[in-house]
Amino acid sequence: MKKKRVLALLLASVMTLGLAACGSSDDSKKESKKDDNKLTIWAWDEAFNIKAANVAADMYKEDHSDAEIEVVTMAQDDIVAKLNTSLSSQSYDGLPDIVLIEDYRIQGYLNAYEDEFADLSDIAKPEDFAAYKTGVNQKDGKMYGIPFDSGVAAVFYRTDYIEQAGYTKEDMQNLTWDKYIEIGKAVKEKTGKAMLTLDPSDIGQIRMMMQSAGTWYTDEDGKVNIAGNQGLKDAINTYKKLVDAGITETVSDWDQFVGAFNSGDVATVPTGCWISPSVLGAEDQSGKWAIAPFPKMAENADSVNASSIGGGWYVLKNVGNEDLAKDFLKETFASNVDLMNQLATDINLVSTLKAASSAENYSKGVEFYGGQEIFKDFAAWTNEVPTVNYGENTYEIEDLMTEVVQAILGGADIDKTLEEYQTQIESVVAN
Amino acid sequence: MADMTKKKDMSPKLNRTGWIFVLPSIILIVAFVFYPMVQALITSFQSGAGNNLSFSGLSNYKRLLTDTTFRKALSNTVLYLVVQVPIMILLALAISSMLNNKRLKFKGLFRTAIFLPCVTSLVAYSIVFKSLFATDGFVNAMLVKLNIIAEPISWITDPVWAKVLIIVAITWRWTGYNMVFYLSGLQGIDDSIYEAAEIDGAGAFQKFKSITLPMLKPIILFTTINSTIGTLQLFDEPMNITQGGPANATITISQYIYNILFKYSSDFGYAAAVSYVVVIMIVVLSFIQLKVGDKNE
Repeated sequence: MKKKRVLALLLASVMTLGLAACGSSDDSKKESKKDDNKLTIWAWDEAFNIKAANVAADMYKEDHSDAEIEVVTMAQDDIVAKLNTSLSSQSYDGLPDIVLIEDYRIQGYLNAYEDEFADLSDIAKPEDFAAYKTGVNQKDGKMYGIPFDSGVAAVFYRTDYIEQAGYTKEDMQNLTWDKYIEIGKAVKEKTGKAMLTLDPSDIGQIRMMMQSAGTWYTDEDGKVNIAGNQGLKDAINTYKKLVDAGITETVSDWDQFVGAFNSGDVATVPTGCWISPSVLGAEDQSGKWAIAPFPKMAENADSVNASSIGGGWYVLKNVGNEDLAKDFLKETFASNVDLMNQLATDINLVSTLKAASSAENYSKGVEFYGGQEIFKDFAAWTNEVPTVNYGENTYEIEDLMTEVVQAILGGADIDKTLEEYQTQIESVVAN
Repeated sequence: MADMTKKKDMSPKLNRTGWIFVLPSIILIVAFVFYPMVQALITSFQSGAGNNLSFSGLSNYKRLLTDTTFRKALSNTVLYLVVQVPIMILLALAISSMLNNKRLKFKGLFRTAIFLPCVTSLVAYSIVFKSLFATDGFVNAMLVKLNIIAEPISWITDPVWAKVLIIVAITWRWTGYNMVFYLSGLQGIDDSIYEAAEIDGAGAFQKFKSITLPMLKPIILFTTINSTIGTLQLFDEPMNITQGGPANATITISQYIYNILFKYSSDFGYAAAVSYVVVIMIVVLSFIQLKVGDKNE
């Protein structure tokens, strides 16, 4: 009998525990609301975004000494996964007030969770920012995000390798991809170094080439635009030429990518300007780097020497501190030229805030890049970036496109493959 | 007849106390297993982004039929299953009968060493594997130094080698786990049977074939079903070692479900539909294995 009673007691306690677990979410929500002077910010990339957020936080605290701002570093994949789970279950525990979201993804979020994002129209105007950055963060005429880095694409290159290969800085200006490959072959021959790194699972190069020709996986109405997309076709062909020329080194993740240029294994890094702080990481290479405009595709008449790959700041409405978060953004990333000035030196940020071009540091040369006035260059290229509609499903499409690229590299017919995947991708986007 | 009535009188009361005792676990199982299962089935008939779901009939299941990534994930998963599970089971059997040898010294040390991989964290070991098998990693350096290969193998970025790497990794991790089951099974086999066989002049292989295997059959069946289910749900290794790459060459069904939910703009309906396909596959495969296992008895 006694045994039974003990058992019953145990069971009862298990059940109350279960009940307690069910009730806990309410309690903690109240708790987080109490702390209404605290902001949490999520972003990725220690060298760039996190530094920017920290500098902004410090500036904001000068005027608002009672505000507490916590900047959390998190891998972009984790941010995406956490936002997806938390927003869909509408549990706001532990979510940040402000979050950095990549331009490619934001339309998907705004479409799926429009009610979760705060309308920022009252703290910022689209006209204040570069035009190609504000298309993606609006929905139904409301502006949901504060554009951040320009993400303008460029070719970071090792001047010493290029010179050893028999070329000069002038050769790197107004590059076409054909010329780039020609130089790459010379570099490989003379120095034994690869021209660039490629990651078979990340075809950012194709995205940049494609945008340089003013096209995207989706057309201006957001419809899938794969089959017969000349810009995309040229981009894939160029990519194939790069691989066939034998001037590439294969990497499989971000660390290897950064490691390759920091250790001097590659001569160029064609990517967004946010890579600059990582390039600066190898201090011993100071003076050996320079920056050239992004190459264009000679065979494509629309292609220009400019492209983009970047993100912006968003406020989650239902986490608790919407007003404080908006005020923070209003006084920092949405208007503060001093902040942009500071970030120009700290992380080589190329702001998309139009007013920032008057910032003092924007006209200074950077010693690491041999005294090159990189901001002037970046700003000039930023103005040329073609506006495209990223649609809602860039990464769904991208994962399939990696298959397309591998198939075409393996010798498959490009038109036929693109045609096949057009149907496939349409069915992905339809849902 | 009298017996029956008596039983009838007794049983409701007995039942009631019985039910009260199992009630907590029933409630928990219903709340955390059956309810989500039914909910997932309902979700699989809906589509839309995020929480904007609407009923769409069989459209998710129709989409499955034309989805090349799903087909790729399915064929990868089946490949892992067909190649890896037999290798691992045979290896585990071989190792366990070696370790069961009475004359073997340092038995405890060997057992621990082989079992240890399966208590390591999935993520931790995946990351260690990733760095070991990097193009300029330890394994390539060793193989090149020993003149086994001339050029470093791109374990992670080559579609074929990446699959090999995943198979090597899961075999490393799970062989010890299966071995423990076989070891305990082997210890349950009476020595006198082996002695009798020896007196009859049976060799080592014959003893293994005619005594060990039949006696271990229930355990082999159990481990095979377990490994099959485990492989069908394979996620951690491809996720952490290759991210499913290069170009989806190592993606598994579980990882595809994860991608649909968390990497892309989440489509709960389609993800639920894909996971139901896994459920059906596991049920069918386990059923077949049970039937095949039964037949020989």
